[in-house]
Amino acid sequence: MAYPTQMGFQDAASPIMEELLYFHDHTLMIVFMISSLVLYTISLMLTTSLTHTNTMNAQEVETVWTILPAIILILIALPSLRILYMMDEINNPSLTIKTMGHQWYWTYEYTDYENMTFDSYMTSTNDLTPGELRLLEVDNRMILPTELPIRVLVSSEDVLHSWTVPSLGLKTDAIPGRLNQTTLMASRPGLYYGQCSEICGANHSFMPIVLELIPLKYFEKWLLTML
Amino acid sequence: MLATRVLSLVGKRALSTSVCVRAHGSVVQSDDYALPSYVDRRDYPLPDVAHVKHLSASQKALKEKEKASWSNLSMDEKVELYRIKFKESFAEMNRGTNEWKTVVGTAMFFIGFTALIVIWEKHYVYGPIPHTFEKDWVAKQTKRMLDMKVSPIQGISAKWDYDRSEWKK
Repeated sequence: MAYPTQMGFQDAASPIMEELLYFHDHTLMIVFMISSLVLYTISLMLTTSLTHTNTMNAQEVETVWTILPAIILILIALPSLRILYMMDEINNPSLTIKTMGHQWYWTYEYTDYENMTFDSYMTSTNDLTPGELRLLEVDNRMILPTELPIRVLVSSEDVLHSWTVPSLGLKTDAIPGRLNQTTLMASRPGLYYGQCSEICGANHSFMPIVLELIPLKYFEKWLLTML
Repeated sequence: MLATRVLSLVGKRALSTSVCVRAHGSVVQSDDYALPSYVDRRDYPLPDVAHVKHLSASQKALKEKEKASWSNLSMDEKVELYRIKFKESFAEMNRGTNEWKTVVGTAMFFIGFTALIVIWEKHYVYGPIPHTFEKDWVAKQTKRMLDMKVSPIQGISAKWDYDRSEWKK
C-alpha cells in the first residue's frame, strides 16, 4: 500500500512490477533530460539581449532534431513492447479466480474445484479496529498463494469498475458482459491494497481490494476451512 | 435605412474613419500599419522612417551642415541630428521598469487573500477530520504497516531496523 511522504511507486511485489519500475526509471530519466534541455534553452532565450531573426534553410539542425527524437522514441518503445509481451507470456496458471465488480463491492469466485464465492465490502471508518487503514480495509480479503501464477478473470455485474493492485502492477477493467484476464504472481507474502479505478457511482472511492498472499500450505488450509 | 444614412456621412467626409486625418503636428500616430512607421526596437535598429518628419528651419540648416565634413559638427549638433533620426536611444528603450514589483506584489496579495479564504473555510465549513488521524491511531497503524512489511525494498519498511525496533539512522 502507499506510505506517508511516498514520492514514487509502491515497491514491487511481482517480477512484472519490477520490470515496470525499471522501465519507468529509464523513461523518466529521458523525460528529465529533455525537460532540462528545454528549460535551459528557454532560460537562455529569456536572458539575452541579442537577437537573430534571419535564419533560413537550417538543414543540418533540422535533420538532427528530427532524427534524434525518433531515436529516443525507439529507445522508449523497445523496452515498453518487451514488457507488454512479457505480460502476455504463457505461464500455466495454477488457479483461476473470478473477480466480479458490483456497486459497491467485489465478489471473488474460487470455482476451480468447489463453488466458493464471497463478497468483499469495505470496512466503514467507524468499524475499524485501532491501527487499521481507513478506506482500505475490507471484511473478506482475497486470499491467494505466493509464488504461483494465478489467472484472474475480471468482470462486472452492473457498471464499469476497475480491479487494481498497484504493487503487483495490475489494473484490469471490469466490464459487464466481458471477461478480462490478467495474471497475478506475487513474489513475497503480505497484504496488498488497491482501489476501484473506474468511476462507478456514489461509492466508487469506497470499494477497495485487499489481497492476502500466504504460502501455499496455509492457503490450502484456509481453503479447507472455507468449504 | 438609418445605417445607410449614417455611413454615407463617411463618404461626405463628415465622419472620419482614420486617426491620422485628425492628428496634427510633426509626430503622426498612424493606425495604418501598411505605411512605413517609426519604431524603437532593439532588434530593428534602423527604423523605416526618421522620428522627426517635418524639420524646423534650424533643423533644416543642420541637415545641410551634415552634408559637409562631420568633424565640423559640435557634440550638441551631433546629438540633435541623432534625435531627429531617432526618438529613444538604445539605453532609453532598453531601460528596466518597476513593473515586476507590481506583478509580484499583486500575486502575493492574492495568495494571501486565498489563505484568508482557506482559514475561514476550515473554521466555518469543514467538519472534524477522521479519528484515524489521532496520534495513537497513526502509531498503531504505522506499526501494523511495518509488521506487514509494506514496501520493504526501498519504501517505509526498508527504513525500519527490525532488529533494534527503531528507525534506521
